[in-house]
Amino acid sequence: MSLLNISCKKAAYLISKKEQGKINLFDRVTLSMHLSICSLCKLFEEQTGLIIRNTKHTHTEEKLPEEVKERIVEKILEEK
Amino acid sequence: MKPSLQADEWVNKYGNMLYNYTLNRVTDKGIAEDLVQETFLSAWRARDSYTADASEKTWLFAICKNKIIDHYRKKSTNKEQYAEADTTSSFFDEAEHWTREDQPNEWGVSYTTTIETKEFYTILEYCKKKLQEMQRNVFVMKYMEDLEAEEICKVLNISSSNYWVIIHRAKLQLRKCIEQNWINS
Repeated sequence: MSLLNISCKKAAYLISKKEQGKINLFDRVTLSMHLSICSLCKLFEEQTGLIIRNTKHTHTEEKLPEEVKERIVEKILEEK
Repeated sequence: MKPSLQADEWVNKYGNMLYNYTLNRVTDKGIAEDLVQETFLSAWRARDSYTADASEKTWLFAICKNKIIDHYRKKSTNKEQYAEADTTSSFFDEAEHWTREDQPNEWGVSYTTTIETKEFYTILEYCKKKLQEMQRNVFVMKYMEDLEAEEICKVLNISSSNYWVIIHRAKLQLRKCIEQNWINS
């Protein structure tokens, strides 16, 4: 195994570092070589990228329970 | 304006918004309710210092964000050293290749666009909830609150190498969970 060959486990970890811009030049080169021949790690990079880009869009539509609202208003009024 | 009327209006106007924001960052409803309450109380106490530079909504959300980060901080101070079972050890075999069970599979969607389906977001929420607490907190602070790694380490009292392990495991878990529940459903 040459110095430039890295495992999928290592590649996946480097993908996480690359995504945050914390990867050195050597790792960047070995990772891109790995990604050019490994479709699974390529998928990992694309799919985690998709998750991260969409993680701020939230669709929860819960309502703060009325009794909690009343409790908060009471507490605020006690503050006066 | 009567203070009573103002407090009422305030809570009605912003209560649900802050609650949903908080619920996306902490999973427990009771804790979310308490954090929203603390947000309103802190804002009320500081209302004299509020200047119209920022909108009232922006101001409230900034307070709420701080309450959530404080909550994470309190939760992590009890832990001497970060240690958790590695739930991602099954992802790779002895040769460090992806195992058949946990390897990424094609989703059949475009990975470069925004996902439009509501189902995706419901599953994303579900999968975030299923992460270990530390993984979830790190993930939320990094990708929902845009905090820098150094700041997250400080808040959670973890080392930089811990941070990288945690955030990477969070991604491995989330990806797998979404594939299992969204693509295979």
